[in-house]
This record gives sequence, structure tokens and C-alpha cells, in this order.
Amino acid sequence: MALLVWFTMGIALWHFTVFLPDHFWQGIVGAFLGATIGAVAFGAIVEIASGKGLGETDVSTALTAIPGVAIGLAIVYAIGMRQEQAVE
Amino acid sequence: MGNRRKHVFVLLFVLALIVLSGIVIASKPTKLGLDLKGGVQLVLQGRPTPQQPTLDNGSMERAVDIIRSGCDQLGVSEIEVARVGSDQIQVGIPGATSVGKATECATKPARLFFFDWEPNLIGREFTIGGHPGREPPKGPVTEASEEWKEAGRAPTGRADQELLAAGAYPTEYAAAKLASEQKPRPNCENCSQSTTFYLFEKKEPHKLIDGPEFTREDLFISPSGRKRPADAGIVLKVPQGTIVVSEKPSDSKGQVLENAEPGWFALEDNPALSGTEITRPKQETDEVGAPNVTFGFTDNGRKAFQEVTRQIAQRGAASAIGPSSTESAEQTSGHFAVILDNEVKTRPIINYAQNPDGIDGRTGAQISGGFNSPSEAQNLASFLQRGALPINLNLISQSQVSATLGSEALHQGIKAGIIGLALTVLFLLIFYRLLGLVAVTALAAYGVIFFALIKLIPITLTLPGIAGLVLTIGVTADSNIVIFERIKEEVRAGRSMSNAIAAGYRRGIATIIDANVVTLLTAFVLFVLATAGVKGFAFVLGVGTIVSLLTAVVFTQALLGSMSRTRLLRSPSALGATRQSVRWHFDFMGASRWFFTLSGCILIVGALALATKQLNLGIDFKSGTRVEVALVKPTDEEGVRTALQNAGISGGEVQKESNPGLGDNAFLIQSKTLEPSQINEIQKQLEREFGIEANGFDSTSVGPTFGTTVANSARNALIFSLLIICAYIAFRFDPKFAVPVLIAIFHDILITAGVYSLTGREVSSGTVAAFLTILGYSLYDTIIVFDRIRENMPRMPRAAFSQIVNRSMSEVLTRSLATSFTTLLSVVALLIFGGATLGDFAFAMMVGIVSGTYSSIFIASPVLTAWKEREPGFIRRRERIVAADGSVSAFADEGDLAMLSEDGETDAEIEEEVAAQRETQPKASAIATAEPPPETDGGEPSSNGEPPAVDPASAARRERNEKRRARRQQRRKHGRKR
Repeated sequence: MALLVWFTMGIALWHFTVFLPDHFWQGIVGAFLGATIGAVAFGAIVEIASGKGLGETDVSTALTAIPGVAIGLAIVYAIGMRQEQAVE
Repeated sequence: MGNRRKHVFVLLFVLALIVLSGIVIASKPTKLGLDLKGGVQLVLQGRPTPQQPTLDNGSMERAVDIIRSGCDQLGVSEIEVARVGSDQIQVGIPGATSVGKATECATKPARLFFFDWEPNLIGREFTIGGHPGREPPKGPVTEASEEWKEAGRAPTGRADQELLAAGAYPTEYAAAKLASEQKPRPNCENCSQSTTFYLFEKKEPHKLIDGPEFTREDLFISPSGRKRPADAGIVLKVPQGTIVVSEKPSDSKGQVLENAEPGWFALEDNPALSGTEITRPKQETDEVGAPNVTFGFTDNGRKAFQEVTRQIAQRGAASAIGPSSTESAEQTSGHFAVILDNEVKTRPIINYAQNPDGIDGRTGAQISGGFNSPSEAQNLASFLQRGALPINLNLISQSQVSATLGSEALHQGIKAGIIGLALTVLFLLIFYRLLGLVAVTALAAYGVIFFALIKLIPITLTLPGIAGLVLTIGVTADSNIVIFERIKEEVRAGRSMSNAIAAGYRRGIATIIDANVVTLLTAFVLFVLATAGVKGFAFVLGVGTIVSLLTAVVFTQALLGSMSRTRLLRSPSALGATRQSVRWHFDFMGASRWFFTLSGCILIVGALALATKQLNLGIDFKSGTRVEVALVKPTDEEGVRTALQNAGISGGEVQKESNPGLGDNAFLIQSKTLEPSQINEIQKQLEREFGIEANGFDSTSVGPTFGTTVANSARNALIFSLLIICAYIAFRFDPKFAVPVLIAIFHDILITAGVYSLTGREVSSGTVAAFLTILGYSLYDTIIVFDRIRENMPRMPRAAFSQIVNRSMSEVLTRSLATSFTTLLSVVALLIFGGATLGDFAFAMMVGIVSGTYSSIFIASPVLTAWKEREPGFIRRRERIVAADGSVSAFADEGDLAMLSEDGETDAEIEEEVAAQRETQPKASAIATAEPPPETDGGEPSSNGEPPAVDPASAARRERNEKRRARRQQRRKHGRKR
């Protein structure tokens, strides 16, 4: 259930990337990958570190995904920017 | 063959099909599923045995045959037995009103073995009971007595003393512990069973928690499906070569005391012969009139029987001192045990004085003394006659539907279907007028042919099947809508009626095939991977979709084609193809960020709901038992709860239920998974205390294994559906088109999950199936939009991708909304009138359709746009447009619409046609200008063989066009300079 929650949060927050300049690696699709993978990976790391089971979810489970999404998007954005700079 | 002849031929063919279908419908019965006619349904899972170490086709088929014939012999008629997947068997027993007998006839392994008793006793058992007639040594007897006392069974009574003297252990734990210490005999072909596992409580007297099971993992899943903690108890592994059996004591007359506690033995697993070597088992009475079971032996069995009884007799004779009378010989004679499913049924002595050379098997043998009634003996005889199951069968799911509720469900399904059909017909007639009438005729033809197919194949009609049937009404109507909208476009573009019909079908067919192939693929994946209940749904949907292609495309084309030159189709208004009343001129791509925001917010709410409320998973996933009962005497939840406690069931949830089919005094009971015997006990107790209405008892039990199977099959079906759909779209369109589809599907799934979490509606296997199907079906909208984008891309060689998408969306939005609306009509009818089960299906479908339509317009297309706009070609186009106009407008300039660019026309020709188009259809929508009218007086033929439109000699406009082209060329040069 926790995986589903993180994935949902990842996709939910990805929707708001349309307000950011499109410098993501592979554009909106790259942002999608960054947001979802970041949410799930970060959520899993925090959950495992805190010793909670993946079946137990509460509001904090959903909120845990937010930093993950931010990190994932930042990485994809950075890759995209580097590629653009390299092309220029 | 000319067109007219072809149309007449098709019409005659369909007419003949309808007549034939009518005959089939009149002459063949409809095969109803158990959920519609009432009965008991079981799902069994096969497990290997030492004799059958792997589950192969042969052993599964033999098990199916044995259940089918065996249950017939047990008086359970009309049994329906079918294999499901590689290791499951589904058993349906129409009309059965109790799960107990049905379950027993299908699952009792009836594995019978004959043992030479004493040599197979182990350790202390052998020391005490292995030497008949000889006084056992005091030490082991004292030790055993102490053990019996510690177990709370001081052997003071005759029954326990008898067991103690035979060497029995007072608890199963003690016998299993002894057995677990024995050396394994791997690859033992003669053994009656393989390695088994037991789970006992840690505290004394180590009561059995679970077992025997064939895997250690099975011990840690409770009947309610919950995982047990790793330290739940003591696990004992009894290796192959040793078995644990129980034996009930008997009274002085040799009558088995059925209510007495048994003693337990660990035995070496060396059966002398098995149940496969007996013949003609039947119930009879012995010399004192007590019931018994007699049987003969096969040739091999006879020899083995004589051999083992001879060995027992010889051993008895050897242990005697001097000559013995028959009476004295009884004291020292050995025993021959008949063990059925690890329970000693009888253990007669082989009197060596009477049978010094053993017992000749030709006269057969009998099992006597263990039956309290003739029917009990009769049951055993029937099981022996049925034969032993070659494999072990575990009951993983069971359901009992009363005939009343079944017929109520059928009635509701038919009602919902008729109302859904009526609404669809009404919509088609109002919106498409004469074309609507044609579609209604096609729907009627579809209904007749499909119903005949259901009877002819025959397809067992189940509740999920009815849901599939109603959904196919929407599918059929949608095919018509796609074509009719296309015809209307062609008519508005100025084509003659016959040309418009031909062009409409030619262009619409690709979209229909794409959309229906996706529906078919989803149905196929569901049929292959889903659990039994969902297969009917998938099969009906698949067959219905194929039939709909025949009636909605071939039949209507012939019908319209033959009518095209008649007066009826002379006026565009007859087709509802006058001026387009709704012209979408909305900047879909510009507004997409606000729709993204809306989706994002909805998903955040969904994620929070999922995190805090989770999903209300039904017993299909969690396992458990659900009983619906209609009581005669009024009572409340507390009364039912008390009755449950009286039946020995605790912890069940009781709710009063408002189900018209069950009356005012209906209750829903939910608990952990119960055994069939416990369900019977509930039924009896409620009958005793309150009385149960005729056919007013329904039950469903799902074991943990089945729950896992359902969850796995749902996951696999989802993954495979997504993969297949994406592969198909990538193949038919462009690989880049598949990714937005995938994202839109994730969006739909998560929104639906959020809705289910927020509303707290139960998620069952049917819900998942309905949702998966609707995902495939909802792609209809995406495919319609993508199809038009694909078509417009070569026509708009200078437009930005967002402009192409905006134009495509505005062209097909009406069509897309109309297809979703017609399906929604059927689904809403199901939701309101379809009853509880169909309502569940319909809710999932409704959420899927709404979410799917929304995401195809506002998620899939914008994502595709954002992605495609990054391609160098589209970046250049955008730069050119910005350079020329300062910004990219929502819709491309009319001059940017190249109508037939694929045939290699020059810019000048394209613009000439655009101008001509504008001139001939000044009031038509942007999309309606997509095709030039065929009845023109010149112009270059296009690649599709149709002549382009020509300006009707409007010199002024031509001149204006020339100027415009020159301006554009100048802008291009300017752009290049920059």
C-alpha cells in the first residue's frame, strides 16, 4: 500500500511540473520518471530506515514522497540542463 | 461485383443470420451460471502426493473425472467440473443448498491403505503394543501412563486404557514429535504420503494450530488469510516414510466411540496395499445387523492381501507357545489396519488359528464396527467406489448462492440491459436521426445474433457475463458513432451522400479497428490470466466485440449503401448533418496546465485517502467468509451474533442488510474463513433459532491461497494489458504515442483507486476486471484523438504540434464525448438497476469511463504535445511561427492546413486547395474542411485517388491567396536570415 501511496504522490506532484521551464531530460516524460522513481525510492528508504512495514500507511507516508519527488525532479532537471548546455 | 450487388448480398447474408439466430434462440436453452440459478461453487487447488510428485495434465484430468463421476455416485447430480489454469479445479453444483456434502464429495481424498499394524509401530509404541499377548515391560508403560496423565487424560476409562495398551500417544504433538525424529526415506514410491508439516502451540499440551500441510509456508497462513508470526508455535516436520495416524477407541462390542478423543500413533509408512487394489465396495450389514462395507480385490490386491495376512498369521503362530484354540489365538494374533485419510477405520486381528495361511482375498474383505449408521457406511462405500484422488485437493474458495437470489440477479441484469439499450437507442435516434435508426437496426441485429451465439457455443451466462454484454451494447453503438460522425463531416464538406457514406466508412474503419483491437486484447488478457468468475466477462466482451464489428460496420454499410440513392438520404438534415451546432474552438493545449493542476490536486487527495483510509479489499483478496441470510423471525444483529456464538463461531461481523431479494429480515455475516462444516453449523443454528426463508442462505468463502491467486492474476492482467496495449499503439501509431497512453492509464488507475479509497467501496476481483476492461475500452477516446492527430500531421506540415493537436481535438471532441456518453448510458443503467454485484461492476466502469475520457483529452494529448514539441522538426516550426507571427496561436492559420500533403503536392497546390476549401465551405468547421468534395471539375488527384477541390473561379480570392503565399515565403526567408 505504501508503494501505491508514494507512486500516487509522485504522479500527483509531477502534474505541477507544467509550470516549470521544460529543461528536464526527455521533457515531461523524463520529469514523470524522475518524480515517480524519486517518490518511491525516497519513500522506501525512509520507511526501511524507520523500521515501518510497507503495509502500514498514514499521512506521513504520503508526505514522505514529497522530498523524493523534489530530488528526482532536480536530478532530471540537472541532466537536462547539462545536455542543453552541451548542445549549445 | 458492383457496390449495389455487394450491399444486397451482405444484407441477405445478415438477414439469413438473423433468421438462423431466431431458430437457435427458440430451440436452444440458455446456460445460466450458478450465480444466476443458484447452487454451490468450489475452487480446489491441486497438490502433489508421493505417488504423483508433479501436477501434470493426466493427474489433473483424472482428478476431474473422479470428482465428476464420484459426486454423481454420491447423489450430487448435474455437477459441472472444469479445470482452471494449471493447478485448479472449479466444481459447480447447481441447485445444491449446502456446501458440506458438495465439498466433501469433491475434496475428500479417500485415500485408503492397508497396513500390517505391529511391524510398523515405532519406538515405545512397538515396545508396548507390538507384541500381542505378551505383557509389555513396566518401564515404558509407566512412562506412557504418566504422559497420558500429564496430557489430562488419565487412562482410567476403558477407552483410554485400550489405547494405552496399544501403545498410543495421548496427543498428536507427542506422536508427531516421535515421527519427526525418524529418518526420511526420500523417493519412497510405496509411501502413502510425502513430507508433512505440523504447527503446535508452544505451551502445554501443545495443541495443534495447523497441519498437516505439505509445505512449511502453508502453516503460517491462517484460514482467515492472515500471516502468522514466525514464532507462532513449534513446527514439526514429519519426513517422508513416517505418518501420524489417529484411532478412536471402541466399546466392548467393538463399536467405535465416535465422540471419544482419539489416540495417536507414529507409523512407518509401509502400506501392504492401497485402495486402488480393491473392487466393488458396497454397504451391507454383518451377521449381527450392523452396517459394514464389503469389497473385493483386484488380482494383485488379492495376492498382496493374502500375503500380508499370511505374514501376520505366521508371526502370531510363532509367538504362541504350543497349540492354540481359536479363542486363545486371538490374544496373540497380530492386527491388520485399514487406514482412510490418516484415520484408522478398523484394526481387526488376523486369527492364525482360523487363517493359518492368511485370508484368501477371493472372498473379499470387509470394514465393520466403525459405523454408527448405514448411511455412514454407505458414504464410505461410495468414496471407495469413487476411487482415491491421485492428488491432494485443497479447498481455496467456496460460494453458495440461493436460487431466489440468483433469479433476482438475473432479473435485475435483464432489466438493466433493457434500460441501457433503450437509453442508447433514444440517444442514437435523437442525435443521428436516420443514421440513428440504422444504428438501432444494427443493434437489434447484434442483439439477436449475439444471443444466438451465447446459446449455440454455449456461453454460460453469469453476472459478470451480463455486465460484459451490456458493455458490448456501448461498444456497438460507439462503432456506429465513429462512422456516422465521419459521414457527417464528409456531408458537411460537400460530398454527395453515396460518396460521403463510402468515405466515412473507409476512413472510420481504421479508427474502429484500432479501438476494437485494444478492447479485444484486453478481453483476451483477462480471459487468459483472470480467475474463473472474470473469464465469463472477458469471453462475452470478446465475442460481443467481434459480432459488433460485423453488425456495426459491415451490416450498416450495406444498409446505408443500398439506401444512399434513395429519397430518404437526400437531405443532410436526415442525418443530422446540417450546420455543425457545436463548434469546439478551445485552446486545449493552452488550458492543459490548469487541467494538469486539477488532476494533480485530485491525485494528492487520492494519495492522502489511500494513506489514511487504504482500500476496502473484499474477501477475494483478503480471504474470509461472507454469509447472507434471510431469516423468518425478526431479530437484530445481537440476536444473530448470539446464534453465531452458539454455533461456535466468534469474532464475526454482523450487519442488517437491505436486499430486496432477501426481504426485511436479512443479515450479512462476515468472518475469517470458515470450514464448510462451520458454515453448515451456522445455517443449522440460524434455522433452529429464527428459521431461514426458502432459498435464503448464501455463502462465499475464500481461502488465503485463492486470495493470493486473485491478487496475482489481477497484477499480471494489469501488466500484460498495459504492455500489449502500448505495443499495439507503438506499432499502429508511433512509439512516442504509447508513452502518453501509459501515463494516462496510470492517471486513471490512481484516480480510481483514490475514489475507491475515499468512498470506502469494496474492491473485489470483479471490480479489478471491470476496471481493466474499461481501461482498454477507454482508450477508444485516446485512439480517436490520436488517430486524428496522425491524420492531421501530414496535412499541417507547417503547424506547431500544439496546433495540430488543438485542431484534432476540436474535430473529434464531439465524437469522443458521444462514444463515452453512450457507454455511460449502459453503465449507469447497470449501476442503478443492476443490483449489488452488477452495481459493483458498473461503478468501476463508470469511474473508468469518466477518468479515461478526461485523461485522453487533458492528459494524454498534452503530454504527447509537450514531448513531440521537443523534436527538432517541431522546434523549427515553432520558431518559424514565432518569427512570423510573434507567437504561436492556438489554432493554425487556415493557410497552414495542407489537405493532401502526403501525395507530394507543392505548397502552392496545397494553398490553392485550402483557399478552395474555404470558399466552398465557408461555414463549415475547421475540421469539416479536411476533405475536398469529390464532385469537382479539376485538380490533381490525390494519393487516395480522390480529386481535390477546386476554387469555383473566384479570381479575387485566388489573387488574395497568391499574395498570402508570397508573404509567407518572405517570412520564411526572413526567418532563415535570423
